[in-house]
Amino acid sequence: MSAPHLPPAFAESMLRRSIANPEWRDAVSGDLHEEFVEMSRRHGAAAARRWYWRQACGLTLRFSTSRLIPMAAPRRPMSVPDPDMDGRSGWTWLSDGRHALRALVARPALSGAVILTLALALAANATIFNLADALYLRPFRFAGVDRLVVVASAPENDPLADRSSVAPADYREWVDASTTLTEFAAADFWDPNLSEIDEPEQLAGFRVTPAFFRAIGATPALGRTFLDEETVPGGDRRVILSHGLWMRRFGGDPTIVGRHIRLNGEPHEVVGIMQPGPSIPYGAEVWAPLAYTEEEWQERRRGWLLVVARLGAGQSVGTARAEMEAIVARQRQAFPETHATREVSVTGFIQGMRDAGAGPFLGIWQAAALLLLLIASANIANLLMARGTERQQEFAVRLALGAGRWRLGLQVMFEGAWLAVLSIALALPLAALGVEGMRRGLPPSVLRWVAGYEFMHVDWAVLGVTALLGAAATLFFSLMPAVQASRAALSDSLRQGGRTTTVGRSRRWLGTALAAGQVALTLALVVGSVLILGAVDAAVNGVLGFDKQHVMTASLTLPERPYADPEARRQFVARVLGRLRGMPAVESLGVVSFLPYAGTSSSRPIHPEGVELTPAEVRQADFQRATPAYFEAMRIPVLEGRGLTDADRAESRPVAVVSRSFADRYWPGQPAIGRRFRIAPEAPWVEVVGVSGDIMHDWFMNQRRPTFYRPYAQDPSLTMSIVVRTTGDPLHVAGELRRAVTAADPDQPVLQLRSMERVVADKVGGVNYLARALAAMGGIALLLALMGVYSLIAYLAARRTQEIGVRMALGATRWQVIALNIRQALVITGLGLAVGTVLAVALGKLMSSALFGLVSLEPLPVAVMVVALGLTALVAGYLPARKAADLDPTTALRTP
Amino acid sequence: MPPKTPYLGEFEYAVLLAVVRLGDEAYAVPMRELIEDRTGRPVARGALYTALERLEAKGCLRSRMGDPTPERGGRARRYFSVTPLGLRALKSTHAAFASLTKGLEAVLEQP
Repeated sequence: MSAPHLPPAFAESMLRRSIANPEWRDAVSGDLHEEFVEMSRRHGAAAARRWYWRQACGLTLRFSTSRLIPMAAPRRPMSVPDPDMDGRSGWTWLSDGRHALRALVARPALSGAVILTLALALAANATIFNLADALYLRPFRFAGVDRLVVVASAPENDPLADRSSVAPADYREWVDASTTLTEFAAADFWDPNLSEIDEPEQLAGFRVTPAFFRAIGATPALGRTFLDEETVPGGDRRVILSHGLWMRRFGGDPTIVGRHIRLNGEPHEVVGIMQPGPSIPYGAEVWAPLAYTEEEWQERRRGWLLVVARLGAGQSVGTARAEMEAIVARQRQAFPETHATREVSVTGFIQGMRDAGAGPFLGIWQAAALLLLLIASANIANLLMARGTERQQEFAVRLALGAGRWRLGLQVMFEGAWLAVLSIALALPLAALGVEGMRRGLPPSVLRWVAGYEFMHVDWAVLGVTALLGAAATLFFSLMPAVQASRAALSDSLRQGGRTTTVGRSRRWLGTALAAGQVALTLALVVGSVLILGAVDAAVNGVLGFDKQHVMTASLTLPERPYADPEARRQFVARVLGRLRGMPAVESLGVVSFLPYAGTSSSRPIHPEGVELTPAEVRQADFQRATPAYFEAMRIPVLEGRGLTDADRAESRPVAVVSRSFADRYWPGQPAIGRRFRIAPEAPWVEVVGVSGDIMHDWFMNQRRPTFYRPYAQDPSLTMSIVVRTTGDPLHVAGELRRAVTAADPDQPVLQLRSMERVVADKVGGVNYLARALAAMGGIALLLALMGVYSLIAYLAARRTQEIGVRMALGATRWQVIALNIRQALVITGLGLAVGTVLAVALGKLMSSALFGLVSLEPLPVAVMVVALGLTALVAGYLPARKAADLDPTTALRTP
Repeated sequence: MPPKTPYLGEFEYAVLLAVVRLGDEAYAVPMRELIEDRTGRPVARGALYTALERLEAKGCLRSRMGDPTPERGGRARRYFSVTPLGLRALKSTHAAFASLTKGLEAVLEQP
């Protein structure tokens, strides 16, 4: 015979580990070994091993659960008094914890419902918190970010100016004048076209001063950053690539450093590769030195630089702001022409650079998630309280035997803690799914602008917040019933002798308050979701002012140097349009400088003829350049006068078509045709030849912004979108559109090729997603609230079974009994709906201020929700009442 | 005052009987085989250990460890024997059943 077979070592060690008592450990594993030997002799080693594994698993389960919940094997004879009761021998946290777990395991359905509810609510909170943390609270996490500030400057009446607003001359003066700020750095948008390798592509880039990388704490992985001597014109054909771009377009080839790549048609030497990490600012992939001529540095009228600086030692944002305000006040005195209304702002880097629009959204979302958690907690409190009543007898006995009230409270807390721990364990994978879903939900086109996107993953912050909220929720929902239980008069409970009677006044009050609160919060949440859905619908399908159907667009930016001559730009556009014009699928086509909903715009101060405006009175209007057929291609109506025509050439009289709101602002109630305006005191006059319909350029700024359209031929822009209205599917002309651009200039990439429907959808995609998630939360809340109302009313009805029996024995009709319960349901829902309506209206007001007027609080949806919730609550009240009424009175009286 | 005679469940009754029947050889492996053999029902090992542990805790059984043997991988057997309390429990349970079955022989012993 071969060597004796041994049982699987791992299975055996697992089994032995699970048995606490050493004698049992030897006995059990020895028994199994003995049987294993017999088994392998009879059925062969393989079968025996399989058998052993099965037995070991079963026994391990049996012994490890008995360790946790030793209900099967009491260590002491039954007659020994419970140490809980005698007050002398020590009890342990462990025994209380075990007791609590046993209590939960004994009611799997209830515990399961509670855990699932809480896990869902916690996961929703964790997901949203991660989003808020990544995108809003801490979108930048490099070292020293807390000492960095953004300095911006703008005319006070120009709400459109953002942080990229500093004039070069101002910047230089600030660097010299400021003592509180050190290490100033400036950046200027520069999106160069990369060509020669594969397909040309427009990169996201910036021209920066050499100090920039030091300021943002970025170091190169290869090569170096910029040198001061590279900031002179001519010395600036050098670039640093982001790690992402290097991997994506150059395959991570280290020899690229020192070589030349072709940007905007000119060779640029690669001097460095950045470390992988956040791309600052705004997802930059390539950086070049900021090299202005002395003349360019003198520019004071217009500002476009993004300026960051580091706080000097011992300085705060407050002291820096005070100093900068003093400096700018001096500039206002010195340059009244340009700086009369100039204001300065100094903000922390995160505050200055994060996505400003994200705040209100994430706030609303987080509030909704917290509401959901509150509703879930109220629901759980109700469930536990209903159960607490069943256990009142148990508590009363223990109190009578000398257990302290706090001890009972502790036990309830332990049960709550177990629920919380299990819910948190379930919530974490759910939250991970949620965060991943959010990541995927963001349209790629907006990612460049989303700082902190790379931090969207489940991290310690999320774990911490989930645990914290879980603990808070536990405190809330487990203490409520405990307070109730300990308040119950001892003698009352005992005297009741386990017979069910009508619930005490205070308990009923608390239950009613909880259920009513749930109804109120749910109403608010559901109305909130309906409002958001409405807002999104308005943004996606509402009045755009143009027709997004059957339109293909291609966006591009011509590089500055090869297209320095406006005539070159005109020729480029003419070549592209000429090639496309004859195609059968093309109905009409035009070019516009800034495509609506694409996220960019440009504005100019307007000086209408015949009105002397002080600098403070000058207001901005959106500035567009368009070819004649643009209006036709977008189906923007020309309401008065004429549209732009081919006769509006470079050398002809400067003209413009203005939007209805433009005409109404400057010439209210008067014909605008023939009026003139200019965009600077010394600029040429522009004559209004037509009035067009208003369009929504960007739904984040939902106002119909006054806009003027100048003929492209008279003022050709580098940035443009080609707009093609097609007879069929717009995507069918995508290839032709790209080829037309390439034919006009082989080095010229198309930045984005999208149907107009896609452009709109991309812009509102994130919000769309938000709305759907909010609607889902509203749905969950509705379900929870209905469950809560139902369970409370059913519980109250069950508690009244005896009373109902008495009433029916004394001659009450079935309907009288049912009406009794329905009245109770009505009180609860009525209270909840009243409070909820107030909450919903308040929430609606808040949201309409956060969502720029897209949300309007209509009475109808609120009314519909009120009726729907009321009806469902009534049904929830009716069903258990009917059940009680259907009981035979004698049975009801006998019901324990 | 002697401790109160515990009440025996059906399975506990079977386990105690098996211990008495096996005498010096009363450890888990033959016990399980015996009960399975006589009752014709499968007996889970976990259930048997639970019952043994509980009976010992109630004071119906006592146990001693035997010598380690090689066919058990060097582990000792745990032998059980019935305590006087266990015997009383067995007797009273048996008596209860006996009094219940008394006079029913005609029904119970029909083939």
